[in-house]
Amino acid sequence: MSDTAETAQDIVLDYELDAAPEKVWRALSQPHLVAAWLGPNDIAPEQGRRFVVEPAPNKAVDCEILEADPERRLSYRWREADDQGALVDSTVTFEVTPTPLGGSHLRLVHSGFKAVGAGSMLGAVNDNTLMQRSLQWAA
Amino acid sequence: MTPESLDHTGVFRALADPTRRAVFERLMGAEMTVSDLTTGFAVSQPAISQHLAALRGVGLVSERRAGRFAYYRAEPAALAPLVEWIDKYRAFWPDRIERLKDVLKGMDQ
Repeated sequence: MSDTAETAQDIVLDYELDAAPEKVWRALSQPHLVAAWLGPNDIAPEQGRRFVVEPAPNKAVDCEILEADPERRLSYRWREADDQGALVDSTVTFEVTPTPLGGSHLRLVHSGFKAVGAGSMLGAVNDNTLMQRSLQWAA
Repeated sequence: MTPESLDHTGVFRALADPTRRAVFERLMGAEMTVSDLTTGFAVSQPAISQHLAALRGVGLVSERRAGRFAYYRAEPAALAPLVEWIDKYRAFWPDRIERLKDVLKGMDQ
C-alpha cells in the first residue's frame, strides 16, 4: 500500500465552467448566491471571517475564511460535528483560473480531515506547530 | 475488534496527531517493534508506546507477540470509517457543483 493516510484523505475535483472568474467568484462568495447551491449562510470573503453554512437542515457547518484572493482562490475551514457530536475539521479550497474562451476552470479541494473533539489538544493550530508541541511534550 | 465496531470519531482523533499518523504510516510499510519505531522518531520510547496504545485502541494497529518481543503492524481496514466520511463528500461536492452551475446560468452577465 503506497498511499499514505494523508493523501488518501483529499478530495480533488476539476470543472470547466461556462462563466468568467469574476462571475464564479461572486457565486462562491456572495451569501444569496452561495445559499442557492450550498445552503443558507453568512459568508463574506475576508480572511479570518467566521461564518456558518447549512448544507442540509439542522446540519450547520462552522467555517472560517483562511484565504480570500478575489477571482482566484477561496479557502475556508469546514468544521462539522459528526454523529457522535465530535468536531471534525477539514479545509475546502476553490481555485479559479480563466480559460482562453472566457470561461473558468474550477478546482475544488477538500482536504485535511482531522478531529478536534472535546479535551483534544487540537485547536486552530497548524500541523507544524502541533508536531513541535507533540515532540516537546514527548521529550 | 472488527472495524465495523469502531466509531469514526476515534479513528479521526487517533490520526489527528501528526506523530501518531507518522507512526501509523511507518507501520503500513513493515511490521516493527517499539525500538525499531523509536529509531525513526525524535520521540521517546514511552511516548511511542503511548501512541501505539492509542492506535491499537481504535484498531488501527495490531500487536503480535513472539518470545520477548512485540511486533506492531498497521491495520488499514480500520480506516474504513474515515473512508466512508470522505465518500460522503465525494458524492456531496459534485452534486453541489451541479447546483453551482445552475446558479451561474441564472446570474446576470
